[in-house]
Amino acid sequence: MGMEEEEQVIGDFNRWRQRPELAEAVAAIKALTAVIQRSQASTMMGLEIELKNASEMLKAWDRSSISLSAGCDLFMRYVTRTSALEYEDINAGKSRLIERGERFGDISLKARETIALLGQDFVQDGCCILVHGSSRVVLALLKLAANNGKNFTVIVTEGGPKKTGMEVSKKLSAAGIPVTVIVDSAVAYTMDRVDMVLVGADGVVESGGIINVIGTFQVALIAHSMKRPFYVAAESFKFARLYPLDQQDLSISTGQEESSNPARDYTPPHYLTLLFTDLGVLTPSAVSDELIQLYL
Amino acid sequence: MVAAAMPDLQAAVDDFVIKLKRRQVEGSLATAKSTVLLLRQVVSHQRIPSSGPASSLIDAVKSVGSRLIAANPMELAVGNMVRRVLHIIREEEATIVAAQVGVTPVSDSDDDADVHGVPGLSAVALAAANRTALRAPSLHNLLESLPTSAGANVEPVPESDTKSRSSDKNSKSWKLKHGVIDAIGLLLGEIENYHSEISEQALEHIHQNEVILTLGRSRSLLHFFREAKKKRSFQVFVAEGAPRYQGHKFAKELAAMELQTTVITDSAVFALISRVNMVIVGAHAVMANGGIVAPVGMHMVALAARRHAVPFVVLTGLHKLCPLYPHNPSVVLNELKSPSQVLDFGEMSDCLDGTDGSPVHVVNPMFDYVPPELISLFITDSGGHNPSYVYRLVAEIYSPEDH
Repeated sequence: MGMEEEEQVIGDFNRWRQRPELAEAVAAIKALTAVIQRSQASTMMGLEIELKNASEMLKAWDRSSISLSAGCDLFMRYVTRTSALEYEDINAGKSRLIERGERFGDISLKARETIALLGQDFVQDGCCILVHGSSRVVLALLKLAANNGKNFTVIVTEGGPKKTGMEVSKKLSAAGIPVTVIVDSAVAYTMDRVDMVLVGADGVVESGGIINVIGTFQVALIAHSMKRPFYVAAESFKFARLYPLDQQDLSISTGQEESSNPARDYTPPHYLTLLFTDLGVLTPSAVSDELIQLYL
Repeated sequence: MVAAAMPDLQAAVDDFVIKLKRRQVEGSLATAKSTVLLLRQVVSHQRIPSSGPASSLIDAVKSVGSRLIAANPMELAVGNMVRRVLHIIREEEATIVAAQVGVTPVSDSDDDADVHGVPGLSAVALAAANRTALRAPSLHNLLESLPTSAGANVEPVPESDTKSRSSDKNSKSWKLKHGVIDAIGLLLGEIENYHSEISEQALEHIHQNEVILTLGRSRSLLHFFREAKKKRSFQVFVAEGAPRYQGHKFAKELAAMELQTTVITDSAVFALISRVNMVIVGAHAVMANGGIVAPVGMHMVALAARRHAVPFVVLTGLHKLCPLYPHNPSVVLNELKSPSQVLDFGEMSDCLDGTDGSPVHVVNPMFDYVPPELISLFITDSGGHNPSYVYRLVAEIYSPEDH
């Protein structure tokens, strides 16, 4: 596969990524579907190899993004399974794959809406929600709950040192939700008046734990010790074939720099109450079951 | 659309609805049995059109089911049984379709994955559709496109009851109906026998010279102890379970079995828990996250048990397993009973109506919610399970579209 092809794949990916509403994994899937459409391969095996190369290129482009590699893996698995079935000719197989790819892309695109629908049931009138990190899924969930007439307040952690919390609070205010921003160190202080904690995830691992922006583990520990439910909103394409046993395992698998200034941490499943995914509301123990179903 | 039901069926349904509203049917076992029997009647009376036989059955069961659930929302067993029957119908249809196409079926929900264009579809149904769509294309999924063609291979016949129907369609709907009725019969048998299934496991859990604590009264626990008594000697502390004092009745039943029984007040549980080897209780319902709805006071016992590292074991039949989460607005977690059970009306009648200052309120909740972290083990008719495994049981016996 030449440089030109590589540029095209990455170019496609970046083009899709431009759209702020699109998750990384979805952009990757769209790019891979485009590869199938362009492919000149005359056998299913050949097509599979092309796709594999494209997938590797995308993963190499951004090693640290877990949802990107999870999305690529999931799609490749999908493809391998489809191509294992016999098709009379390559074109029938290709069109089947493209149709599946589009469907996959559509589902993943709509995943956020499904999660918002499922999760907004948990938001009750008069409750106070603590949000950590900047997740579009969480934003969609809260906006939907507000649109459905629920009255609730949100406390957002500042999210230093990049202060991502300020962006989140602006967006929530714009949706008419009363927001308070607190410094990260004030989480334990405020946990008393919080009814539930809601975060997104960069990746969901096999044990049912999550990988998310640094500080999530801390918030989970505090929530757990003060018996507050800790909810995670994540799409199914973020389910990754990883099983970190501690925080160091995380940096090895994603290749992030040494732990002096980590960008992400791992929260074990023990501290999570429920996960809202587009496959339904899952307990952390149900995640590995779903993973097996998705990947097998 | 409600089935064009015969008047007897309509009368039977109305009768049951009234019984439920008046709380004349007591206990999850009796309710579950009556619900299943009624639904079997609905299924057998339902006239099945040749196209979409399953969906007409599903609609009929759903319409009767929603009436029943609305009659007594606290009795979760009604909703559970309705959903079980719906799941049975969907599974039977899947088996028949797969058999027709000559492929062995993979057990999974087979409903249309093309639901995305439908607005206002419940979130859970969407999630279910996503699940089937995202599963790697298996032989079973490929059949998605086939059922419509299988049904269309006979020329259309006007809807009528006459025997002029072509044998293909007739046999399919006939097979479906009778398959469903057979499966419902199996379900009924399962419900009726759950006591014995659970008691069979008694010897594994109760050991010689153990001290066991329980609260209130549970029929499954009675059978459980009876079975264990055959080979073990142990003693039981029964917390009386105010204000209904079911514990007293239970203690009498246990004493009649010649078990060494001690009755204690609910407040004494914490004091005595350190001398107890195990807590075994029954539950009213089990939620999808592994938490239970149990007679009031149970949460306190669970906390005491956790504090002293005493295993908290719950006996439950699968018919008590509810696929909903406790936060769900349609789940009613508690009911308030008459305060006269707590305070005699005569004693405090002057402060109760506020003639001397502000009135005294008396609240008499019937149930408690115990979160899954406090529960060590569920003993069900399908064996012993961890609370974190409950999601699996739910997935096996219910279809996500019906939640």
